Amino acid sequence: MNRRSVWTVVSAIVVTLLGGCSPQKYSANYTSGLVYCSESDPISMNPQLDTSTTTADATAHQIYNRLLEFDTETGRIRPSLATKWSISQDGLRYRFLLRQDVGFHSTSYFTPSRLLNAEDVLFSFNRWRLPEHSFHPVSGGYYPYFESLGLADNIADITALSPFEVEITLKQRDSSFLANIASDFSVILSAEYGDLLMSRGTPEKIDRLPIGTGPYQYADYQKNHYIRYDVNEQYWEGTPASESLIFDITPKSSLRLAKLMTGECDAIAFPARVDHQVIRERDDLALDEKAGLNIGFWAFNTERAPFDNPAVRKALAYAIDKNTLIEAVYFDSATRAKSLLPAASWAYQPDAQDTGYNPVLARQLLDQAGIEPGFSMTIWAIPVERAYNPNAQKMAELIQRYLADIEVEVNIVSYDWSTFRRELRRGNHDSVLIGWSADNGDPDNFYRPLLSCDAIPSGTNRARWCNPTYDELLDRALQTEDIDIRKALYLKANELLFDKLPIVPIAHAYRYQAYRKELSGMVINPYGGVRLGGVTKHRD
Amino acid sequence: MSRFSFYDDEAHPSPWQHTWRAFKSSHIALIGLAVLLLFVFFAFFAPLVAPYDPIYQNTEALLIPPSWTANGSIAHLFGTDALGRDLFSRIMYGCRMTFGTSLLVVIIAMLIGVTIGTVAGMLSGVRSSVVNHLLDALMAIPTLLIAIIIVGILGSGLVNSMWAITLALIPQFIHHTRSFVRGEMKKDYIQSSTLDGASNLQLFYYSILPNMFETLVVQGTLALSIAVIDISALGFLNLGAQPPLPELGAILATGLDAGYLAPWSIAIPGISIFLMVLSITIVGDGLRSALRKRVNR
Amino acid sequence: MTRILFRYFVLFTLTLLALCALSFSLIYLFPAEPVTTLTGITPQNLIQHEALINQYHLNSNILVQFGDYLSELFAGNWGVSLISGQPLSKEIMLALPATIELSACAMFIVVVIGIPLGCYSGLRAYSNADFTINSISVTLYSVPVFWLAVIFILTFSLQFGWLPLSGRVNLLFDIPHQTGFLFIDILLADNLDKSAALSDAFLHLILPTLSIALMSTASMIRITRRSIIDVLNKPFIIAAKSKGLSSRQIFVRHVLRNALLPILPLMAMQITTLITNAMIVETLFSWPGIGNWLIQAIYQRDYSALRMGMLAVSTLVVMITIAIDLFNRLIDPSREKFESVTI
Repeated sequence: MNRRSVWTVVSAIVVTLLGGCSPQKYSANYTSGLVYCSESDPISMNPQLDTSTTTADATAHQIYNRLLEFDTETGRIRPSLATKWSISQDGLRYRFLLRQDVGFHSTSYFTPSRLLNAEDVLFSFNRWRLPEHSFHPVSGGYYPYFESLGLADNIADITALSPFEVEITLKQRDSSFLANIASDFSVILSAEYGDLLMSRGTPEKIDRLPIGTGPYQYADYQKNHYIRYDVNEQYWEGTPASESLIFDITPKSSLRLAKLMTGECDAIAFPARVDHQVIRERDDLALDEKAGLNIGFWAFNTERAPFDNPAVRKALAYAIDKNTLIEAVYFDSATRAKSLLPAASWAYQPDAQDTGYNPVLARQLLDQAGIEPGFSMTIWAIPVERAYNPNAQKMAELIQRYLADIEVEVNIVSYDWSTFRRELRRGNHDSVLIGWSADNGDPDNFYRPLLSCDAIPSGTNRARWCNPTYDELLDRALQTEDIDIRKALYLKANELLFDKLPIVPIAHAYRYQAYRKELSGMVINPYGGVRLGGVTKHRD
Repeated sequence: MSRFSFYDDEAHPSPWQHTWRAFKSSHIALIGLAVLLLFVFFAFFAPLVAPYDPIYQNTEALLIPPSWTANGSIAHLFGTDALGRDLFSRIMYGCRMTFGTSLLVVIIAMLIGVTIGTVAGMLSGVRSSVVNHLLDALMAIPTLLIAIIIVGILGSGLVNSMWAITLALIPQFIHHTRSFVRGEMKKDYIQSSTLDGASNLQLFYYSILPNMFETLVVQGTLALSIAVIDISALGFLNLGAQPPLPELGAILATGLDAGYLAPWSIAIPGISIFLMVLSITIVGDGLRSALRKRVNR
Repeated sequence: MTRILFRYFVLFTLTLLALCALSFSLIYLFPAEPVTTLTGITPQNLIQHEALINQYHLNSNILVQFGDYLSELFAGNWGVSLISGQPLSKEIMLALPATIELSACAMFIVVVIGIPLGCYSGLRAYSNADFTINSISVTLYSVPVFWLAVIFILTFSLQFGWLPLSGRVNLLFDIPHQTGFLFIDILLADNLDKSAALSDAFLHLILPTLSIALMSTASMIRITRRSIIDVLNKPFIIAAKSKGLSSRQIFVRHVLRNALLPILPLMAMQITTLITNAMIVETLFSWPGIGNWLIQAIYQRDYSALRMGMLAVSTLVVMITIAIDLFNRLIDPSREKFESVTI
């Protein structure tokens, strides 16, 4: 190597490092396929078993369909596997008329012999609904979404009126029922496949080698590496344009962006907030944003002393400056949260009470509660980017500094995502920075899973807070369809929450989707997981 | 005897002076030494010279570029990170953390390794052979693997990663001490001391150790550069120092997250680690060739 | 000869036994239930807990347990991963070849570039060329691999867009897993544009290989150079010179052979360094190797995976080391084991 070429390389490196970069696309001979870089491994291939966005992203809209679906634009519920539905006068009986031309995936491990019918709907619902169902205990027997909403208890019966008509009877009115049926988790599985697996004695395969009706079918999965899907040629909504879909699992957000820039990914999950500007400046990348139905919060484990004392929780809430957190962590792409609901919800209360930044008051409250200076606590910070909290680690470090000012020591705890959730469910935390992305627009979808008593065992109530008055308010709100009455009840719930403060609401964030401009049909789904069925890639 | 000698005695520089003279003759080694001394200075006096607290978060000043760029501010020489912490102070403390712990690790490993190595070298026969074989096996296990196992047992943290690296470094010291002691034991001056009735301990302390000292220093610099790289690698992988501790590898890992917007937060910690290792290597090289020159005279 | 072979066989068995004992002890050292670390199954209830304990004789004498552990190991029953529930043997067999492939390519570069450059600079010792090579190698030796990898990604993937940065091959190539060695798998696969797949795999290999090879190449240059200089100073070289041999003849016949012999055991140590570096670099290039796998396992606190991963990697490394050592012993019986390291 002569001296000049050495200098060329050296200066190129220096320019890259100090001057920022204007990367170009690495090109390879692609087959027709779509690569989506996701952030973590799904817990299971069946979203009934898990509430995390990662699992929902990888499965809900790729492999499966639901009876009903949200329109991503309007938020209205629209037909999917059910073409029509009707509700009885008393609001207790729901009838669904099913499509008659829907086939299940035909893969190397299963070939369906019949089309979708009412039996499959019954099978899918009864699996999580009935503890005595043969598939209920398979893969752990936890169905956190349905348990946290109390849905299983509220369904009195499901019957097939005809091969393509299903009736669901509720015990009590539930004005959020249709929304729940349309959420990511209410997927329809194949009863025929279930029977086959049961007869072979390997029922747990239903969650590892999934069969659904969605646009893509499962082909291969290697942990920490990729999930491969093949196209479902017979998809009832029309065959997707790409031959295959690949989830490239890339935990580091900077690497995901790098792969997006080189074209190794066509779209990425959760672009880091610091990188938004970089993405916007590039001609070949697109960044969409949409107000999200979510909330990022700081939950205290109210089962542990001293966090069982509302005064202590309040004191800690007063010690942090939410505006700074929003600025530093969300780069102002979020709005300050006062209550659980974002402004997009109809029950949003603009004048809800909020905790301000007041370290002096915070220390006083702690003194009154008998918390000595030097008290030490843990903050668990989710290890992945989420729309509701793009960088919990950083937020935890900021809070660590704030609490140091009131002489509270903080240890930040973080594990890998699946371990984190496992440990969190055991309630080993003092407090946790986490959040919730709504699965539908109904306020009940925030209030109930996050803080109701039922949601403690199902693991979505991170504060492990149980208050009968609160639960009663929520139940009453579901008994009526009258928006104003419901709104008044949720205002009361807000007051109660401000008084007890089991969680400190921090921010409602926008949702972002970064992808290459060759893609079309990429829309943000505010009501849950990413939908890649309708996405096409234009080849240059 | 008279108090002064009439004839000038020939100056007899000590072995150390010889080495220093030979070392001094290489300019590169001197520059390396100067840089190394700078790091040593940081390691000891970072709290006195650093302009800011390394974990103080100035949320008004996020991701400020270094002072030599157009948008830089003179208040933050190397700019700030995504939490508004002054990068220059963090790097200074980082040198302290990385270099200091590495030094500590090497000293501990050296003490243990030399002790075991000497015992193994003075013994012979079956016991020595067993030690030898076990060492070969231990030496083959990658440091990272040892570190991962220790982190698995004790949890991640700077101290635990230090244990891992100490464990990984010890075999090399044992090995060298052992072969050195074995070589020396065959030499005449040891034989004569033995005939004078010196015990093994005395032999080691009065005869072997003084001769071994210099090779130990050379070995130590080699181990030090390995330790610096390993500590920062573990910090980088988030298995060693945990945030917000300013450790160079951990700073680099944090810098990676904002790497597109703030490339300097990748460049500066990396260059610091690089310079630290480079200066250690150069000084080690210089020492080695100086020793070689002295011995070959 | 047979005696040496026997000695090495005993040595290998003993070391393997020690490693197995170490991995066995991890069952009790890791902060999880011994049953869980051993089997990878988290018992859901007491009955299952009891059943597992009985099945694996965990309440019997520790030696019996160890014996049991060994027989399970050799039967190929390594337990399942705590997180994914997959058999560990399968996961390790997927990951290990990727790392071996990467390290082997890097080793190839180390030997092909390191030894000739080292020879050259050793023969021209203290000349300008030697000085340049030496400074470059000292510099390369000091660059931390993880930083080097990041810079490579920034420069060659993002700035110039020449090379890809993720994994072993573009995931859109659906290459069926057969041997685990990608290039062989591609050649064995049907329904595939082989030349496109091969060139894509080659492009993917360049950056990770270079990132780990450079540091070891630097060491190799220095080791070779030192060894050549040492040999050049030996009396038999002067004798050869005085006999009137050409410098080419001297180099090929006398210097090279004598200089390379002591390097061999040091190469074994370079392999350890290479594998360590490969493990770090894998995480940056999403390389699905054993290092990436182990580091994910520690992040996930997947104790059963850590236990087996540790055993697999250390066994591999020890095997290579002992094999090289044995080879060295066989071709050069006079030599003491492991020359002292001089660089």
